[in-house]
Amino acid sequence: MHVDLATLERAGAVIGGIVVGVVAFYALYKDWSTPGIENHVFKLMLLLLGVGAVLAILAGVNVLGNFPKAA
Amino acid sequence: MAVASIAHGIAPEGEPDQLYAETRDLRLQGFLLFLISDCVLFSSFIFAYLYLRNSGQGWPPPGIPRLDVGFAAWNSVLLFGSGATMHYALENWKHGNFMKYMWMLIFTIILGLGFLGGQGYEYTHLMLVEHVTWAGSGVFGASFFTLTGMHGMHVFFGVCYLTVLLLQSAAGTYTKQKYFGITAGTLYWHFVDVIWVVLFSIFYLI
Amino acid sequence: MSIESPQLAHAGGIADHIHPEPQGFVRRYVFSIDHKIIGIQYIITAFVFFIMGGLLAETIRTQLLNANGGFVSPGTYNEVYSIHGSTMIWLFIIPILTGGFGNLIFPLQIGARDVAFPWLNMISFWIFPVAGLMLFSSFLMGAPTAGWTEYPPVSLQGAAGTSMWAAAIFLVGVSSTMAGLNFIVTILKMRAPGMTFTRMPLFCWAQFATAPLLMVATTALAAALAALFMERQFGVPFFDPTKGGSPVLWQHMFWFYSHPAVYITILPAFGIISEVLPTFARKPIFGYKLIAFSSMAIALAGFMVWAHHMFTSGLAPYLQLPFMILTFVIGIPTGIKIFSWTATLWGGKIHLTTAMLFAIGFIATFLCGGITGIFLAAVPYDLDVHGTYFVVAHFHYVMVGGSLMGVFAGMYYWFPKMSGRLLNETLGKWHFWLFFIGFNGTFMPMHWLGVEGMPRWVATYDPQFQFWNRFESISSYVMGISILLFFVNVIWSARAGKKSGPNPWGGRTLEWMIPSPPNYYNFKHIPTVFGLPYDFSHPLPYKGLDDELTDTPPVTASSHY
Repeated sequence: MHVDLATLERAGAVIGGIVVGVVAFYALYKDWSTPGIENHVFKLMLLLLGVGAVLAILAGVNVLGNFPKAA
Repeated sequence: MAVASIAHGIAPEGEPDQLYAETRDLRLQGFLLFLISDCVLFSSFIFAYLYLRNSGQGWPPPGIPRLDVGFAAWNSVLLFGSGATMHYALENWKHGNFMKYMWMLIFTIILGLGFLGGQGYEYTHLMLVEHVTWAGSGVFGASFFTLTGMHGMHVFFGVCYLTVLLLQSAAGTYTKQKYFGITAGTLYWHFVDVIWVVLFSIFYLI
Repeated sequence: MSIESPQLAHAGGIADHIHPEPQGFVRRYVFSIDHKIIGIQYIITAFVFFIMGGLLAETIRTQLLNANGGFVSPGTYNEVYSIHGSTMIWLFIIPILTGGFGNLIFPLQIGARDVAFPWLNMISFWIFPVAGLMLFSSFLMGAPTAGWTEYPPVSLQGAAGTSMWAAAIFLVGVSSTMAGLNFIVTILKMRAPGMTFTRMPLFCWAQFATAPLLMVATTALAAALAALFMERQFGVPFFDPTKGGSPVLWQHMFWFYSHPAVYITILPAFGIISEVLPTFARKPIFGYKLIAFSSMAIALAGFMVWAHHMFTSGLAPYLQLPFMILTFVIGIPTGIKIFSWTATLWGGKIHLTTAMLFAIGFIATFLCGGITGIFLAAVPYDLDVHGTYFVVAHFHYVMVGGSLMGVFAGMYYWFPKMSGRLLNETLGKWHFWLFFIGFNGTFMPMHWLGVEGMPRWVATYDPQFQFWNRFESISSYVMGISILLFFVNVIWSARAGKKSGPNPWGGRTLEWMIPSPPNYYNFKHIPTVFGLPYDFSHPLPYKGLDDELTDTPPVTASSHY
């Protein structure tokens, strides 16, 4: 398999994205019923972190992204 | 959850519980409002970028190369990863696992520095190889470098703050009941992460 | 979020915690963290800038005595009106209403010992005079000449003073943002026990509506100013059309702040009027909830109408329409207030003190300004009078006939609370009548001058406008004299005015329940509140205030927290 830096970066993005996404959504699930404004804010941020991880995965597999050949 | 436990917890000598709980509450509200105002700052520049992008002739404008999405995705994962490690740092502190907390905090700082390094690479590549600069590449350079630069500065301040947190935690400044500095640092770090989710999407994905 | 008051006066909490009194001149009066001292510092500094801005105004009026000018050069004239507007808005009216009266009064009215972040409050204040000096230093390097709005491309080409202007206003904006944050947390978290939101005085509601504007809108301005600075100093293109930028982008960014900014300048004044009227009509305020919620509505809707300043900038008609309609809609909560204030006066026992004269005068002149605002909201009308003296008339009626008269009402009302002495009523009445006559003489003719086509920001004008310009200029000198009388009154009364005692006006809000001037700790015991302050036929709705006017000292914290 031809492995160049670009492929390595994308692989890293996908693998890392999966790891972070799982961590973020799992933490969100576990902390779902904690009360108080600071916990609500943390939950919102974990959700957005998870969304970011998903976006990184999709970018890594060429589904999303401003590429020369339209994706 | 955390506030209630503080209010009923045992305070170190000198300071009554109720006073700490109330002032912590004020500080939390103040810090959240500060994050909101920071959000408005980024939103204003994001509006400017989207406005300028929409009134032109396609994006990137003629003569400007496309950004490297693959690299940015990888770099983003470094930052998102640091968000996850910071979350666990706070969790570990709340459960009293000091060593795990310290390691998680160190990983957060390392990943944050990694992200900054990646941004540095992106900038030097753009400026020296592609000849895309802040002032010399029309509104593309203006919006890209201003927004990512502002974000990078926020990450840098965050890394500095987390380093201070590391040193303070080692010196025993925080207790199991009184650790607002760690909470604030976590909130700020997540904030910086979330801003990047938006910037990554609007510069690299659309 | 519940609107019930958080019971913050638990034993050992903030309400019970009284610091030892600060010692030494510097700690007490220079770098003070006491909201009352900071409030007075803001008021004094703001009035200093008011005088400077006023001298610039008189320069404008003197230039306009003659159709062919001759008092200053056209270039200087452009600098003068640009700095006049910038000073009056950013260095006078916003600081005095928010940092000045806000700091001074609302913590007392909610029964707090101070604001949430006293150190931040002090830093907020000290940024203000520094930023003001920076703004005036721009005269030394070629002050901005494109008005207080500094539209590109002209502002991109201006002398170095334009960058200094941007930096100065950015800085004073930081001060505002921090103050807004401080006020929001204070009102949310530090009200006395029993003071639910619907038992809070209307001045506090006004500050609570203004604080998010201070925090959010000012940050948007900071972004615009930073972009202008970066473009001027480093060549980073945002607004230069030859490099792909857009001048209209500046207008959007600038007005997204500056429209909410005008609500920042008027909402606290509304709050002052809502306090003064019931006290001197000896009647409850009519429509308390209407006034309270309409303030919030105005603050919120204020974010949605900015482009009514841009009707002539090439906006598509389908965009002009919603802004026009929303601007009409904002007139509704404002109109509700005018009706409520009038109904407050109806059937009341009116005491025409100077504060009351200014408050009643406010209703008349602000109404006038508000109505011309509705005229301007209509796109076809605005297309005709945009950039003319009609606009100048409108905003001076709301800012001078509105906000400034609110400031004067607040001064006559609360000066005794802060200094222990009354302002002289005779001088006050001379002040009011000369001001009212001079003000209307200066700004009323601007309406028809604008309709007849006299543009704003011009150093010379067509001779057909000469008569009314002369009339306005002479009237402005009358207004200037009245303001001089005011300052004489303040300075003289501060030393030799009649002693006021704790409650010279029979007010019912909490600030009148403590000595004049208040002790540094405000209240010996934070009272419990169980009703609205304005119910004149009932006893005072407070418990726990018996000790406030005696000589017993408070219990202070033994160590400094």
